[in-house]
Amino acid sequence: MLEKLVFQGLIGLSFSMYLWLLAAGLTLVFGVLGVLNFAHGSFFMLGAYAAFTFYEKLGINFFLSILLSLVSVGIIGVIFERLFLRKIYNLDLPYQLILTFGFILIFDDLVKMIWGGVAMIPPMPSFLEGNLSILGRPYPFYNLFIIIAGLAVAFLLWITLEKTWWGRMIRASASDREMAGAIGVNIPFLFTTVFVFSAMLAALGGALGTPVRVVAPGIGTAMIIQAFVITVIGGLGNLKGAFVGALIVGILTSFGILLFPVFELFIIFVVMTIVLLIKPEGLFGK
Amino acid sequence: MVKNISRRKFLKNALIGGAAIGSGLGSYQITYGQAKKAAGPIKIGGQGAVSGAHADYGWQMIAGSTLAIDEINAKGGVSGRKLEMKFMDEELKPATAVKNARYLVTDWGADVLFGVDSSGSAMALGPVLAELNRVHIFCHAATHRLTEELVAQRRIPQIFRISVPTYQDGILPALIMKDFPEIKRWAGIHEDYEYGYVAWNTFKETMKKVRPDVEFVSIAWAPFWTMDFSSHIAAVMAEKPDAIHTTKWAGEGVMLLRQALTMGVFDNIKAWWQCMGGSVDVLQGIAREVEADKFKGKLWASARYIHNYPVTPENRAFVEKFIKRWGKYPNYSAETSYSSIYVIKAAIEKAKSLETAKLVTAIEGMEIMTPAGKRYFRPEDHQAVYTVPGGRVIKSPDYPLPILGDLRVIPAKDYYRHPPFTPISATK
Amino acid sequence: MTKLKPLLLIALILLLLLIPALGGKYILYMAIHILILSVFALGFNLLLGYTGLLSFGQAGFFAVGAYASAKILLVIPSLLLGVIGGAIAGGIAALILGYLCVRHTRIYFSMLTLSFGMMIYSLAWKWRDVTGGDDGLVGIPRAPFDIPWILSVNMTPMENYYYFVLVISLLSIFFLYRLVNSPFGLTLKGIRDSENRVAYAGISIRTYRLLSFTIAGLYAGLAGSFLPPLESTVTPPIAHWTHSAEPVMVTLLGGIHTFSGPIVGSILFYIIKDIIVRYTQYWLILFGSIVILLVLVFRGGVVIFFTERIWPMLSRRSPPP
Repeated sequence: MLEKLVFQGLIGLSFSMYLWLLAAGLTLVFGVLGVLNFAHGSFFMLGAYAAFTFYEKLGINFFLSILLSLVSVGIIGVIFERLFLRKIYNLDLPYQLILTFGFILIFDDLVKMIWGGVAMIPPMPSFLEGNLSILGRPYPFYNLFIIIAGLAVAFLLWITLEKTWWGRMIRASASDREMAGAIGVNIPFLFTTVFVFSAMLAALGGALGTPVRVVAPGIGTAMIIQAFVITVIGGLGNLKGAFVGALIVGILTSFGILLFPVFELFIIFVVMTIVLLIKPEGLFGK
Repeated sequence: MVKNISRRKFLKNALIGGAAIGSGLGSYQITYGQAKKAAGPIKIGGQGAVSGAHADYGWQMIAGSTLAIDEINAKGGVSGRKLEMKFMDEELKPATAVKNARYLVTDWGADVLFGVDSSGSAMALGPVLAELNRVHIFCHAATHRLTEELVAQRRIPQIFRISVPTYQDGILPALIMKDFPEIKRWAGIHEDYEYGYVAWNTFKETMKKVRPDVEFVSIAWAPFWTMDFSSHIAAVMAEKPDAIHTTKWAGEGVMLLRQALTMGVFDNIKAWWQCMGGSVDVLQGIAREVEADKFKGKLWASARYIHNYPVTPENRAFVEKFIKRWGKYPNYSAETSYSSIYVIKAAIEKAKSLETAKLVTAIEGMEIMTPAGKRYFRPEDHQAVYTVPGGRVIKSPDYPLPILGDLRVIPAKDYYRHPPFTPISATK
Repeated sequence: MTKLKPLLLIALILLLLLIPALGGKYILYMAIHILILSVFALGFNLLLGYTGLLSFGQAGFFAVGAYASAKILLVIPSLLLGVIGGAIAGGIAALILGYLCVRHTRIYFSMLTLSFGMMIYSLAWKWRDVTGGDDGLVGIPRAPFDIPWILSVNMTPMENYYYFVLVISLLSIFFLYRLVNSPFGLTLKGIRDSENRVAYAGISIRTYRLLSFTIAGLYAGLAGSFLPPLESTVTPPIAHWTHSAEPVMVTLLGGIHTFSGPIVGSILFYIIKDIIVRYTQYWLILFGSIVILLVLVFRGGVVIFFTERIWPMLSRRSPPP
């Protein structure tokens, strides 16, 4: 029994890392820009479509495809932030949510117009095939890859925020935007870069998922609620919180599937409700 | 002051009047009676999943029906009248499906309806069809309750279904897999809604009867929009099953298979039954893996129609015309919607009328040759009876994508459920 | 504009009363749906426009009302009982969940409501024995409108059901109108605009928020309770967060800071969507673009746009006294 649990937990860990990739960008944007971006899931979807196109249709190397998809979505992110998001920074929450919600609809139809509505999947990169034996059972290389990728992103974000000047600007603006502006931080530029960075993080999640997930309209929306819940559990704007939140949700869900097959849909919301009732700002929020 | 007020009043009245006209009240004057001028086109209303992750299924319906309508119109139409179609998006939501049906009949003037992907939509539509009084040929929605409850028990005669019901996914695999004595331990990874419950329950029920030695060792339920199945696969494989039965369909089916491969499932099981795995979009999605024989001949599947069965001139002609027109192989939704149009044509010609009651009588008991083979619309529940085989997913030199081969043909009339219909347990 | 309002209102009510005669069956069906959405959105706006709280989970209470009404009608075919039961169920659910929600504000409040709404959705989906699971509840009768010993009206003709929904909707709209213009309403606006001052005046903010939340839930439940007799089925999607987005959108469209905003928004939204889906498969992109347009251009909502920009332009044509 213990072996089953441990194995299940390790599988859950790879799921957690995947969720972390999604939640990281969302919480970053909220912490710095103060905007909750419903369309974050659409960037995830666009990243997946872009990576798929580069990798499958154009035959480009897997890692290069991911890089190119990040660049592509980054460009879309710049346009989105400059043209649309900028206009709603000063608006009330409902306007922000509804504007970004409107974009979900637009992106869903756009991908359908460009790529068609069929769910597609690229070839599996050869180095990700296969599995290794953990506790006598096959554990996929792909899941291991995702764990490494998730940890790498966590490390990268930590280094960026702590050690770089850009990171310092982010931390300053996140804690006090007015003051940061007063001491000379170029807020509009910062906002654009943070947003683009977050869009690229979402795209990374989408791109990394393509070997085992189909690209189809609406795959982003499926993930967005889970990402929301995780960021709230961790504390909106808090990257460490998003990481821990993702771990909790991913591993708990995995256990739930093994032990309580009936309730899995519920778990994520129950956890969020409990956290919010006990510690309203989230586990690591202020 | 008096002049101002009266002018304002006038403006206000004009605005309101204008708004009333502007909101198009006038254009909505059509009542939904069936007295029609004999010269106008015959209006066929359809709906399916056009948006979202299952958008391809709606597209397939449009493709199949359009092909049929264009063919028929080119030959002069039905009884000298052309066919006209309007296809709407049901969004896989019952409320939308009902609204579309109401619009199509009471406002657009549809004479007949067809389509619908979602079982929930079909069940919600049923009683409304009685109110709207139009024949509806269901092309995909597979819940057995549509025909068993709404037609046989509640007697809503306007409902017909041209595609196979869900219990095919339970009974057929059991009847085929029973012949493998080495497969004793079955596990399931299933859709977390009625389709999954019914398929799994009928599978277990049938298996117990034909192979009492079989055990059901594990089950995992995956709701819509599950993208990561590794937890489900791990949970199920922990019990070391011999074989897996799954209802995950369309894109989710492809993901499940791809992820199962990474988890070495096909090295550790003897068979995997993918219920709607014979669907073209799934076969396309796993084409590379089939080519590389990753499934080691262990992947079995069926569908509501496969393009390579039956081997008849009608089927071959349909597939060729479809590929010529649309550049891809027809999925089962394409065939069912194509055939629906021809059934409608046959019914109108037989009834010599568009009156619903006469069309119902015409379709009941109708035997008609379609690409999927001969279909018989049995009067007891208006379900079309036709045979779809199960088979192994193989690569074939004759086709650019995998097909079902090593076909096991079990005549539908041998295993279809009959009245009196007892409810199928839809619990876990 | 104020002198016109009562006249406009009377004209509108006349129009509503005449719809069965003027329009066809489909318009009637649409009109009932618009009334349902209006009541739903009005309750929602009590929370947003007047109390300053954005709830993204109102669909949960709508669903509670719908399922409760369905359950009642399946046992006792009395329309009045179903509707009252649905509204009360929605209100009670809101009272219980609201107690947990109103301790938070702004984004956390919204997230909590979102999560509660989705929990209700999960419950509706999973609890097959009670809710029918993904199949939902079917065969709900359009029961007659019975007041024991006084009258019984058959509801099978849709015109009758339309009038029933119309009368109850108008009554609830009127009631809400009086409520927001009462001291209670003023207090809510005070809480929305300036929490601290209101607190200093000795008013319990949480209590008022909870009351507002409960009333919003009651209205959501009432709106939901109209659905089962109309469609004869109730299924889980009505509890999904995408349905919660509807009152948000229509209220933004019509205008948060006017009473009639949600109603105007409901009419426009419903008609626009209905027309778009008839003519194209790509309705999402058109619809999304309209939503974006309304946020960026019609900032205060259509009603404010009309009263502050269009109407002055038109009324300037009258000569000076």
